[in-house]
Amino acid sequence: MRPACPATLLVRVQTPDGHALPGAVVTIRPLEGAARHAAPVHALMDQVNRSFAPDVLVIPVGSTVEFPNSDSVSHQIYSFSPAKRFQLPLYRGKPYPPTHFDQPGVVTLGCNIHDEMLAYLLVTDASWYGRTNEAGSWSAEVPHGRYRVELWHPRLRDNEAELGRELTVGDADRAELTLRLSRPLQPAPLTDRPHSWDY
Amino acid sequence: MARCLHRSTLLLLLLAASAISRATDWELSLDTRLVASDAYPSFMDGGLGTVRFGSDDSGIKLGRARLAVTQPLGQLFSAHLDASVFDDKDRSALGVTEAYLLFRPYPRAGYRFRLKAGGFYPPVSLENRSSGWESPYTLSYSAINSWLAVEVRTLGVEGTLDWLGSRTGHAFDLGITGGVFGWNDRAGVMIATSGFVLTDRQTPLFGRLGQPGVPPLNGAEPFMEIDHRAGAYLGVEARYFDRAVLRVLRYDNRGDPSAPDTVSHVLTWETRFTSAGLRIEAEHGWTAIVQWLGGDTTIAPPSLTLNWPFQSTFGLLSKRFGRSTLSARYDRFAVQTNAPGVYGAQDGHAWTAAYMFEANAHWRFALEWVRVTSSSENREEQGGPPLANETQWQLAIRYALGSSIR
Repeated sequence: MRPACPATLLVRVQTPDGHALPGAVVTIRPLEGAARHAAPVHALMDQVNRSFAPDVLVIPVGSTVEFPNSDSVSHQIYSFSPAKRFQLPLYRGKPYPPTHFDQPGVVTLGCNIHDEMLAYLLVTDASWYGRTNEAGSWSAEVPHGRYRVELWHPRLRDNEAELGRELTVGDADRAELTLRLSRPLQPAPLTDRPHSWDY
Repeated sequence: MARCLHRSTLLLLLLAASAISRATDWELSLDTRLVASDAYPSFMDGGLGTVRFGSDDSGIKLGRARLAVTQPLGQLFSAHLDASVFDDKDRSALGVTEAYLLFRPYPRAGYRFRLKAGGFYPPVSLENRSSGWESPYTLSYSAINSWLAVEVRTLGVEGTLDWLGSRTGHAFDLGITGGVFGWNDRAGVMIATSGFVLTDRQTPLFGRLGQPGVPPLNGAEPFMEIDHRAGAYLGVEARYFDRAVLRVLRYDNRGDPSAPDTVSHVLTWETRFTSAGLRIEAEHGWTAIVQWLGGDTTIAPPSLTLNWPFQSTFGLLSKRFGRSTLSARYDRFAVQTNAPGVYGAQDGHAWTAAYMFEANAHWRFALEWVRVTSSSENREEQGGPPLANETQWQLAIRYALGSSIR
């Protein structure tokens, strides 16, 4: 008989040379029992200084996302990713209804006016999800049981499936897992370049 | 100078007031210079100096007064206008450097298509990436891009198709660009009769070079259609994320060098060139650019064919420290002639060092030093020395206003 109270599952993500990797997306799915989907949310993906904020947003399947455009210039947001294809003109001071994301997958966002703008939405059907903090870690309260933990990052060179791990959260009230990339990430977008320059 | 500044500012303000509606994006800027130069008079003054300001120009000069307007036309079209005053040496002080209509459909299935029609720069420069086709690294452009500023523009249509690999899980984007144009039948006259220069004066569309009746340029108009044959260019571009851009372009104005203009009797200059450039950007504000351009220009008056091959290369290294940018560039340039007794050969190199400080979105300060060492048969022909060193210092203060300048 397992205790009903949940355990803390702490996931650490490291680069190949052992440094903490902030901002990595961690998802947890139970391998036994009924699938439990995280509840849909209403999230914001803003446009600030000709950039998306945040650069990565994780949302459960069925969530809605609002694109408020805090810039004084117009944007034309688009995605041609199979998980959600859409086009959304965002003119100054003109609000648009939120967009609904009903298929799991990675949605790459761009702007048709400002080619350098780039962000990602990860639409997930996992039970628990989050991003690692500055120390490269993230934790969730999960019932005891067997789980698959997966990792995603927009600049990952590793094969995602090979990075995932299965583990059993046993009787202890705490379990830990360290995932280490085998290949370094691709270069990050340059953030200090003036926005008025051609990309 | 003061009169020119007054008149140009007034003109720009009038244009601005009439053009601006709520959806319009606009920019208005005034760039003034304190110049110290020991150079020969510039080509606009009928001289063969290799920089924008000759020794007679030392003092306070107008760098550029500029108005740019972008007007969205529905969701997928926009109209772009860039008008500037550089000096009062052309027919009118105010001229249009670029004016075009852009068709910009949303990217689909990993591909992006763009169509431009009007007057604009072909995609050659990796240096002139700021608004108004300015360089964010130096005040004076490289010899290659100065030449484009002086006498090359697309007056026609250009289509670009990009494969956005970096947005579909790959490390690269690839693009192909093609342009068809007219009204550039006199591109090349500057190269052959004056040579390469380092300037930031952009000849307005349908503007002129030098002064009428003053050799060697005699007020030549680079933007003329004489032989009624369209020119064309084809270019490819590869990008590695936002870190590296490689661009190669082949340009041919397909001029008929024996075709004279029926009114002015000036000849078509058949000008062809290939350009290749690489720009690499890294963390901590580092940028490196190398660019090469090589080609030739030809005229064929009756029973004669005169041909001038030309080449130029530059390397630029730049580093941003917060609001400051420090840049250094080395240029090499050369023009040859194919027949004895034909002038036009030039050989030279230049060093440029510039410091730019963006105090805020409105104010920019810049200090630049340029030193050009060159030999020139044209200058010798005018009674100048075969080999000359020219040095130009500029201190620039620019104030900008605009719908997105806060």
